[in-house]
Amino acid sequence: MITPLDDFLAATVRTATPLALAALGECLTERSGVINIGLEGAIICGAFGATVAAGTVAATAGGALGLTAGFVIGAAAGAVIALLFALFTVWWRADQIITGTAITLFSLGLTGLLYKTVYGATGVGLTLPTLDAWAIPGLSALPVIGRALFAQPLITYALYLFVPWLAWWFARTHAGLALRATGESPDAALAAGVSPRRVQLLATVAGGTLAGLAGATLVLAQSGTFVEGMSAGKGFIAIAIVVLGRWSPRGVAAAALLFGGASALQYLFQSLGWTGVPYQLFLALPYVLTLLVLARASARSRAPAALARRELTLS
Amino acid sequence: MAALSAPAERPAALALRGVTKRFGDVVALDDVSLDVRAGTVHALLGENGAGKSTLMRVAFGLLAPDGGSISLAGVPCTPPFTPRDAMARGLGMVHQHFSLVAAMTVAENVALGAAGRYDAAKVASTVRAIGDRTGLVLDPAARVGDLPVSAQQRCEIVKALARDVRVLILDEPTAVLAPDEAQALLRWVRAFADSDPSHAVVLITHKLRDALAVADDITVLRRGVRVAHGPVAQFTEASLADAMLGPGERSSRVDAEVREAHTPRAPAADQAREGRDVLHAHQVVIRDTEGITRVRDASFTVHAGEIVGLAAVEGSGQHALLRAMAGLLPVAAGRLQSPTDVAFVPEDRHRDALLLDASLTENLALRDAGRRSGQLPWRTLAERTTALLSARDVRAAGATAIARTLSGGNQQKFVLARALDDAPSALIVENPTRGLDFRATAAVHDALRAARDAGLAVLVYSSDLDEVLAVADRVLALHDGVVHEVARERDTVGRAMLGVVSDASIANTERVTFATRTPSPGASA
Repeated sequence: MITPLDDFLAATVRTATPLALAALGECLTERSGVINIGLEGAIICGAFGATVAAGTVAATAGGALGLTAGFVIGAAAGAVIALLFALFTVWWRADQIITGTAITLFSLGLTGLLYKTVYGATGVGLTLPTLDAWAIPGLSALPVIGRALFAQPLITYALYLFVPWLAWWFARTHAGLALRATGESPDAALAAGVSPRRVQLLATVAGGTLAGLAGATLVLAQSGTFVEGMSAGKGFIAIAIVVLGRWSPRGVAAAALLFGGASALQYLFQSLGWTGVPYQLFLALPYVLTLLVLARASARSRAPAALARRELTLS
Repeated sequence: MAALSAPAERPAALALRGVTKRFGDVVALDDVSLDVRAGTVHALLGENGAGKSTLMRVAFGLLAPDGGSISLAGVPCTPPFTPRDAMARGLGMVHQHFSLVAAMTVAENVALGAAGRYDAAKVASTVRAIGDRTGLVLDPAARVGDLPVSAQQRCEIVKALARDVRVLILDEPTAVLAPDEAQALLRWVRAFADSDPSHAVVLITHKLRDALAVADDITVLRRGVRVAHGPVAQFTEASLADAMLGPGERSSRVDAEVREAHTPRAPAADQAREGRDVLHAHQVVIRDTEGITRVRDASFTVHAGEIVGLAAVEGSGQHALLRAMAGLLPVAAGRLQSPTDVAFVPEDRHRDALLLDASLTENLALRDAGRRSGQLPWRTLAERTTALLSARDVRAAGATAIARTLSGGNQQKFVLARALDDAPSALIVENPTRGLDFRATAAVHDALRAARDAGLAVLVYSSDLDEVLAVADRVLALHDGVVHEVARERDTVGRAMLGVVSDASIANTERVTFATRTPSPGASA
């Protein structure tokens, strides 16, 4: 029997998946000393790229290939937008906050325009394959957590592996060491023979790739369609998640679950029949949580020392 | 220079030929050559801005030269030549400002720059092995930011040695160290050069004493030109000073300054004793904004008409102590007496004392800006600025000159002039001559003495012990948050800075002073 709690927990993990993807990408980027406020733009471009690719390929080659193409092109679209951001901020050392804001606004406008151009104002004729939940036999029958953790789409399972891998990569590889050193002290990294520009460029593009995947997940594993502005601030929430998660992959994953839970509360209250409370209140909850987190958590935790610094080297 | 061209010798460990480097219109290096023989220590001497660090940054691949060539062990370094190439060829550089990541461990810093999997245990054993071999002992798991400066420097050297560096460039390595630590480092440098015929060290310094003590060869730069070079036996302290300062520039005043810096004066504070006590601390405890106790026990007095020097190794609590004396930090316990009109000159004039892109008049108006309100009397301020510039010998285009356009020495003279403008009763200065050349330093010292003679109580902290000894009438040593008054002798102060204080070396005066001032409300002094 499926209880409202099961539904709530499953919705929590489902909602947390794209948030975690984008936030892990941002975590990777920020550890190199770059804060990509254009994350929202990478998500919406990923979502649109996934829509076009999945729709086109699925029409001729079938759903499975369509899904693959959707995720690949979605990730690539996020990478391209991040590359554009990196060109300005990492290469030409433009201000990261202003550039990121411009990239986000540009991406929202561009995807809206392209959507109308390709599919018309109503989106008629837009049919997409979707990545359905795949319950792992046995595990998904566990009480309470079974359905929440083990009856999810494949992309969620991929995250279960990616989070510990990323933590290992940060701590146990020289590339991870070089990335963290660049975020703390580009001067020291340079003196040690690391190229801070190259590290920041790669970290930003990798972060954009994950944000693109987050966009693809929104379309292909959740809503099943593209809507203008469907990223709905998830990029900014992901940035708050990185702060709450204290720039560690496991912390970020846990913080993403918390925000996922806040978003999923609306389903819980609906299923409990609490119709007296306006649903907009629950929609606002993640954003209120974001504000509180940024005000409280950032005072206590320490960001990479060179985060958002324009001058690459001080001497 | 026969030694340099002896036949049957190995090729120079590092050779620079005719290196020229321009920054815009400024020629930083003009046709400079340098031969570092294998198995030797080579001192590169010069004043601030003479081009020592620039030359070595070229050698290390951090700057591309506009002309000339570099070779390592006889093999030319062809451009593009990067630090990575330099290290691969066995050349390492320890910068004056360390290139360490404070948030990372010693092992992580040592491993930085390699490729593949990072094995913390393996790197830790490398760090320990280097410690056993060379005496540069470090805890691989310690966070670099928590280490004292001397250990951070060891970490930099170990970082280089871990990459099998054989030619080591040390940029002003003793500047941040207490005298005993500096001696230990120089001994280590000597031993490193002697331990293997392929080893060599370039010691960048402006301290004649260090160069003469440890080097085999010396090269002197002045304004980007090589003005002297040869084996150490050719030089004396006087001839090196002549070479560094140039003909006719070694004026009697500078001469006096050199003498003063190198020969301790007898304590001459008897008259000062008679001055009223202006700054007074009794068993003061200070915590910084993060709640960490920086000063555990400070008891001392600064009288009107004397300069008291504070000597300390970086991170001993001087930062907090000076700010508390200036009324900028509260004390957690104890009694602190400080007049409201105390003037404070912080060490980082660019960050804390000046708006670099504002005019001198605007910079003058900034003083006490938080305490004033209403309209600004610009005309009066401009007149006051003009008067200050001429009265204090600040070389500037005028009151409207932008602060950035002044030389470092004139910026500092302006900051001092501004601090003294209101005729304060006390002056507290922190590293007043950091980054200044010889003449500017002398001018700042004169200004401090003039303030003393005008009856101010002056407290001077400098990370350079010789500067403390040069200007101070009495000396306080601060170690690990505890202040001791010590005799004004280089060795005594040096030991006290490191916490090696024997009762005999503490000046009796301190106890006498405090015996009469022990707080007993009933007694009237």
